[in-house]
This record gives sequence, structure tokens and C-alpha cells, in this order.
Amino acid sequence: MTMNSVVETDSAEVFVEEMEKLQEALPRRIDANPENVEKGLAKLVLTLVELIRKLLEKQAMRRVEAGSLSDDQIERVGQTLMKLENKMKELKQIFGLKDEELNLNLGPLGDLM
Amino acid sequence: MIYIYGIIDSNGQIDESVYGLEGSNVYNIPYCDIGAVVSEVNQPIRRVTESVVLEHEAVAEKLMENFTVLPVRLLTVLDKRENVLSMMDDYYGDFKDNMDRLRGKVEFGVKVIWPADKVKSRIINAYRTRNQNVHVSDDSVERKFIRDKLKEHKIDKAFKEKADRCINAIDIFLGKFAEAKKLETLRTENLLLSAVYLVRKDNQNNFKEAFEHIRTARDDLKYLFSGPWPPYHFVIVPRKSQPSGDSGHTVTADKVILQPTPMGADKA
Amino acid sequence: MDSVITKSKNVTLLEILDRVLDKGVVISGDIVISVADVDLIYLGLKVLLSSVETMERLRDGPLVGPMQEST
Repeated sequence: MTMNSVVETDSAEVFVEEMEKLQEALPRRIDANPENVEKGLAKLVLTLVELIRKLLEKQAMRRVEAGSLSDDQIERVGQTLMKLENKMKELKQIFGLKDEELNLNLGPLGDLM
Repeated sequence: MIYIYGIIDSNGQIDESVYGLEGSNVYNIPYCDIGAVVSEVNQPIRRVTESVVLEHEAVAEKLMENFTVLPVRLLTVLDKRENVLSMMDDYYGDFKDNMDRLRGKVEFGVKVIWPADKVKSRIINAYRTRNQNVHVSDDSVERKFIRDKLKEHKIDKAFKEKADRCINAIDIFLGKFAEAKKLETLRTENLLLSAVYLVRKDNQNNFKEAFEHIRTARDDLKYLFSGPWPPYHFVIVPRKSQPSGDSGHTVTADKVILQPTPMGADKA
Repeated sequence: MDSVITKSKNVTLLEILDRVLDKGVVISGDIVISVADVDLIYLGLKVLLSSVETMERLRDGPLVGPMQEST
């Protein structure tokens, strides 16, 4: 049975490489056995916390860029964001989670972050 | 058991011999003015292998030649003919709507890879040039943190804007010959564009020509062009919450998990 | 020479998988036997489909199952 569609490219390897990266970003199903349940939950919770943290950072940057924060406010925002970032680094370390693991694939909506 | 390949806008027999999975004979189960193209399999296919994928796709493409086909997802197996008919009954309206919308149209895929690192370097250099005179020595830790974050943010923003402009330049050409399209930007940093276009069969050549024009215009981008495909990305079928009819016997479908074979068997 | 052919084939397979795994007509409900309301996760060229029970069995066996959580 022959197929009619063609796939034309002059850089097959490069495309294979990129398309395979897409799969690595997808969450694997987590076994629901005791040792893994904890890690699975931590991953989920931290993914959401990370999302909020990144949104806060982004929002702060927009305001700094727009010049709508006073010097004092900038200092305080900086302090808060620093603390949040360090706390997240700590938590990631405690649970042995890497940045790439804290993402969720929402199917047709793409990745959470 | 009945394996479904696609829904076509015909209730007649399929003229020539078409073979599907396990070398089975592919035929049409009519329902009103449409039909479900199927073949019989001995057990529910659970392994997704290369041959299953290619055989499935080959049938869908054969159908594309002579009919309007709504390709069905891989591994859709129903128990008996009655189940197929009751499914057709459930989905008839949706299928008809899709047929009308997709008649005489095919799908093309276009993917573009760009040198993300080079783009970023250029942006970073431009940023440095613009911000040479910023006084940094007496900043607090917090201010420095904000400054670094802001730099990151600006670079990221510029990167995304460049991507959008690049994609727009491409889409302006291709979109002209498409009835519909779906564009995904930066699925990975290097995969600038992942797009599908719905093109009328009689416009195929114009579309291909437009692509050739773009391909030769820039040599720093890498392109992938695929098609014509049955319109997988343009089928709209809402999920039904109710199971339809009486299936005769309850079959609990297993939770299905797709796994890559580990590269080395000793990966643990 | 061989690797060029393989890679081209891979790209074709990836393009097809991108479509057949979760696009097109998705029929859901109890009547579907192999696949029922499942979130098929596209995970690569060499894909192995197994039920949860099969996976449990594989994990206990001498063969390395596809999903090994590090313990």
C-alpha cells in the first residue's frame, strides 16, 4: 500500500531532534505507589507555585519597564522576588526536582509554562 | 472486532480492494448518506507499531483520493457492526457538518527551524550597546536582582517579537492559499513555527509554489513541508459524554499508556 | 547512507504520529474498546502500548519495563 503524502525537508535530523524534544516535555504517568506518591504530589504543587512565581515576576518586570514603580517599591519587589526564587530553589532541591520537570502539558493548550 | 479508519461522504461500496491492518479487507459500513470505513481485526490492537501507524494512514490517504474523509484517530476499535451504526447515529450531525466544511480540502504541514542561539546573541548584543551607560556600582543586591531580571525579561520579549515577525512574513504568503490554518509558535526554542494549513485540492499547486518561494527567500531557516494529508487538524468533533446504546457486553478499556522503548535496556 | 534513510523515515513517522495519535475524529465512550477517553500521550517513535496491569507484571519481571521510576 503506497502512500501519497510526502514529507520534504533538507534537514531531517534537525527536525527529528526538535520534535523529539517535544516528547521529553510531556509528563510521564506517575506510578501510584507510596514512594512515588509524595514526589508526584510535590511535583504538582511546586509546578503550580512555580507558575504563580513566574507570573508575579513577569508582572513586576512589566511595571518596572513601564516606570510605574517608585525606587522604594522596586527595592521591595526585588527583595520579595529574590526570596521567592531562593525558596523555590530550596524546595526543588529537597524534592530532587529539576526545572524541566515542573511543567504540565495541557494537550491542545500547549505547555503550562 | 471492527477497526475504524475514517468516515466518508458515501454510502456505497469502496470500489477497489483496499487492505488495512493485519491484511484485512477494508469496506464501508453505510449510514444514511455517509459511511464508516472499517476492517475486521481479531483483537483490539494495543501496540502502536510502525506498521500499524503506516497501514492506518495508508487507508486514510487512499480514501482521500476519491472521497471527503474524516480521518479517525488511531486504534479506534468497536465490538460489532451494531456499535458502529449506533456510533454513526450519535455523531451523524457532527460528521455531516465536518463533511460540508472539509469537502475538497486537504491538509499541509509546514515546520520551520530558526537559529535561536544566533537570534538571542544578536538581541543581547543590541541590548548591551543600548545600556552601556547604566551606573551599576552602587546598587543594592535587590536592585541588581531586578536589573538582571529586567534584562532577561526584555531579551525574552524581543525574542518572541522577532519570532512573531518572522512567522508573519512566512504566513503572509502561505495563508493566501489556505481556507484555514493553525499556527504554533516556538514549540521549542528552535522550532519557530509548527503550522497546518487547510487547502482546497484545486489550490494545492499554488500553495506548494508559495512554499517554494519562501524556502528560497531565506537560507538561514530550515523548512519541513508535508502533505497532502487528510484534514486531521481541522476535524471538529465534540466529545460525547454518554456512551451510546447498548454495547452488548461491558468491556472495560484499559488505561492506555504510550511508552518509548528505553534506548538502552539497562536504563534504570 | 543507511542513516539518512532512517532519519527521513523517522521524520515521516513523526509527522504521521503527530496526526493519528490524537487528531481527527476522536470517538469516546464505552463502545470503544482499544481506546476510550484516554489521553494518548505522544511519546516517541518506538511506542509501546500497555495496560497498567501488564506494566505491573513487566516491572516485577526480569525485563526492564518501559517506565522505571528511580527508587
